[in-house]
Amino acid sequence: MLGQGARLYWAIQWRRNEGLGALFLVLVVFAVIYAGLFPGILAVGAMAKFVQGWFPTAMVAAAETIVMLTGGIDLSVGPMVSLGSVVAASTMQGPLGILGGVLALLALGTGVGAIVGAFVAIGRYPAIIVTLALSFVLRGVALLIMPRPGGFVPPSLSEFLAGSHPTAAFLLVLLIILWKLYQATPLGIGLIAVGDNAEGAYRSGVSVTTVRMSAYILSANLQAFTGLYVAAQTGSGDPLIGEPLTLAAIAAAVLGGVGFLGGQGAMRGALAGSLLMSILINVMFFMGLPLVAQYVVQGLIIVATVSLPLIRTSLRRAS
Amino acid sequence: MNAVLRLRRFATTYSRSLVAYAIVAILWIVASLLIGGFGAYAHLRYIVELAAVIGLVGIGQTIAVIGGGIDLSVSAIITVTAIILPLVTFDVDATGLGAIGLALLVAAGIGAVNGLGIGYLGLPPLIMTLAMATILQGLLILIAGGSAISVTNPSLDWLGSTHVLTISVSIILWLVAAAVCLFWLHGTRSGSLIFAIGANPVVSRLSGVPIRRLTAATYVVSGLCAGLAGLLLLSMNGQGYVGIGDPYLLFSIAAVVLGGTSILGGQGSYLGTIAGAVLLVTMTALITVVNASEGWRSVILGCLILAMLPLSGRDQSR
Repeated sequence: MLGQGARLYWAIQWRRNEGLGALFLVLVVFAVIYAGLFPGILAVGAMAKFVQGWFPTAMVAAAETIVMLTGGIDLSVGPMVSLGSVVAASTMQGPLGILGGVLALLALGTGVGAIVGAFVAIGRYPAIIVTLALSFVLRGVALLIMPRPGGFVPPSLSEFLAGSHPTAAFLLVLLIILWKLYQATPLGIGLIAVGDNAEGAYRSGVSVTTVRMSAYILSANLQAFTGLYVAAQTGSGDPLIGEPLTLAAIAAAVLGGVGFLGGQGAMRGALAGSLLMSILINVMFFMGLPLVAQYVVQGLIIVATVSLPLIRTSLRRAS
Repeated sequence: MNAVLRLRRFATTYSRSLVAYAIVAILWIVASLLIGGFGAYAHLRYIVELAAVIGLVGIGQTIAVIGGGIDLSVSAIITVTAIILPLVTFDVDATGLGAIGLALLVAAGIGAVNGLGIGYLGLPPLIMTLAMATILQGLLILIAGGSAISVTNPSLDWLGSTHVLTISVSIILWLVAAAVCLFWLHGTRSGSLIFAIGANPVVSRLSGVPIRRLTAATYVVSGLCAGLAGLLLLSMNGQGYVGIGDPYLLFSIAAVVLGGTSILGGQGSYLGTIAGAVLLVTMTALITVVNASEGWRSVILGCLILAMLPLSGRDQSR
């Protein structure tokens, strides 16, 4: 027998799946096609490899979602991931080794997040232009630290994160649990409240500035550590490796029903969105489609998945 | 009395745009005094010529942003135009005007598809134009591959190299387009309705504004302007290649915001974007003078845009 609180919780959780039906359906269809085309994926090793391919997109989609839930947007995701990979690859050969690299990434993520937060949360400047300008700065800093791909990530770390073990899958589960815990804290609840109605949240005693600030710091840290993961995958740092991730992060979040106005959507949608894109790329790769077709199909799927619920609502309104 | 009131209204409405002009003026004066050759007529003309590309893309971007949207496909449309024009320029067409018309038609057509998706299907502008950019990127690789395509088109050469009374044709093209844009936004009924849609789409729809048709129209205009910018860029470069338009997405948005147009829609003017475009090119030119590495150039440009936000970009409502 469920208590009333628990029932309310699940009812709310269920309602937040609304509008994601089309996405989940498309996702299942493509997952089945993928498994049908390439049955080997169902083995543990292949699955681990697949999750490793998906992991960076999932991380940046989550980072973008946190910011978008507060009503902001982050256009500097790609350069930030690149900078993270460069910092990781250049600090891990230092005297402090892996620990030093992790500390440097924490400092980087917190610092950059605090800067964006200061502009957006305290200065009230539009996030879109702040992060756009910041993307120039981050790209420049990454190029200054490492003009061309290089540096070094300890092979043991590469093997641990991106080797034959399903570490990425565990990390993903861990992050989802942490996200659930965060959402149980006042800052986490405030996240959606602030995005939905900043004035109302403020009047209800939510510290709008703190919530936004922590959202940007959290998001920047996720991006910085995505950089570490990407560096571990390739074994070195690359000042341009993150570039495609800006659009991928936004596309995954929007595909997952996260709205630009804030307060709409849920993390599960964004993760499902990034998973769909990841599966799509894999399916198209196995079908031997040329790169050209991959771009086109990706664009069409994004449009189709986002417009399906819209078409349904407009039909319902018409009838 | 009436004139004074009007002047005051003008000043309050466009104070943000005026700030951008003031910064450009100060930068130009200081730079001319400090750097030899910066203030020369030919150099300043060159800056404005470069700004014309950003300015032309900025027309569409400004209109899209004022209408409450944004166009992320402009860079892809610029590249499409710059690559298609060489492909459709044939010897039969002696003036090259047919090819130019065709390229612009393609650009406007892409904008129309954006407009259909956003205006009629109700897709979020960010996602529709982003998806369009992705699709176009794929098609471009198919058409052009990695190679650059050169062009010999008489009309285009004329556009890129002729001066009328020492003013470049490209600048004149920009001035004409700017005048048309300003007249549309501030002098016509449909122009002010775009402001209305951007300020409050729900109220606009309930008041009977043809919101779908107008929204679609803004993206057609944006596509056409990006196409014009692509032609101009091609005339300066001589060849088109994949990626030629990439920097102009960020530049166009930055120009719009530096010019004081609210990114939330419903407020602003193309007057500011003009100054924003010149400002961006001036800053880039100054950074080049300092002879910094690519990394430093990027850092300085980003910091300058951030530093300028307090002067122009503040939005109280967020």
